[in-house]
Amino acid sequence: MSEDARGWRIALVPDALINSPAAAAAARPDVLGVLEVNGYGVLQLPPPGEHRLLLAVIADQVAEYSHHGYAVVAIGVRGEAGDGLHWRRLAPLLRHRGVALPPRHIIRPDLDAAAEGQRLGAFLAGYDLPVEEQRRWRV
Amino acid sequence: MEPDTEQKAPRKVALIANCLLNQNAKVCEGAHYRGVVSPVVEALRRRGYRLQQLPCPELAFAGVRRWWAVYEQYDTPAYRDHCRRLAQAIAPQIEEYLRRGDEVILVGLDGSPSTGVRFTSSAPDWGGRPNRPEDDWRLVARRGIWIEELEAELARRGLPPLPATGWALDMGRFDEAGSRRDLEEFLDRREKAAASQGEDPAAP
Repeated sequence: MSEDARGWRIALVPDALINSPAAAAAARPDVLGVLEVNGYGVLQLPPPGEHRLLLAVIADQVAEYSHHGYAVVAIGVRGEAGDGLHWRRLAPLLRHRGVALPPRHIIRPDLDAAAEGQRLGAFLAGYDLPVEEQRRWRV
Repeated sequence: MEPDTEQKAPRKVALIANCLLNQNAKVCEGAHYRGVVSPVVEALRRRGYRLQQLPCPELAFAGVRRWWAVYEQYDTPAYRDHCRRLAQAIAPQIEEYLRRGDEVILVGLDGSPSTGVRFTSSAPDWGGRPNRPEDDWRLVARRGIWIEELEAELARRGLPPLPATGWALDMGRFDEAGSRRDLEEFLDRREKAAASQGEDPAAP
């Protein structure tokens, strides 16, 4: 897989952080930009509402990644219902698939956006699977 | 724009192939970026598009360690059923966008057996031991299986066909500059068409 550029790390990201309303965008870090710099892929979570089937599809994907050497995290945003993560529905779906719940990082729009961006960057840069798990899969 | 006005104004929405936000979904040796395909994201966001990631049908069906495959190998009743299930999962959101008057476009992945828009990969004799020589397949001008099933689901709901293009990642030799130019031209044509109809192409 020498010519493959994948980063082996993925973030669950609420719709509200990918498509921030113009009024809120200035108060939030550019999450997609921070993810890109840190080499993460994105699994987009739907906006608030009933999304039973779609969340099950997303849980299937998270399970597939988690069982094959990919690091998965979740990034929420304070002020959105459930931090935008649909955790009450998603967590049992993940447990049912034998997946440990991903570590969560919550963006706080009430704090300085640049500082929040740095805090997010530090979280993303500092997270990965244990080295022995990486060696097992990432060859 | 006032928040209330912003909520009601028609928006520009881009449905994008799963792997354009997450290259980890690609088949082994198919990832050209670590995660986000930034040229696509930049081009769309610069023009005010909201992003709506589509599910990856191959990952959920055949897993992250799947073999490379062509259109004919995925053209099975079971895979089409799976794609229909995914289409039913995402279609309500797409329908909501269209019903509220948003402009919705689709950016797939040209060359992909599943997500190809203008081209898909074909090799009717592929099968058995996966030891085919490199480039032993050809491009044909048609949709991939997933896009066919997604469009069929939208049609079943009485929704109009979506303007669509593909990021040419799976066309053999990847040409990022050419792909970027191609996408920009498609988006520019959309803006010109909207402007000629008296709409504000920059409206979010």
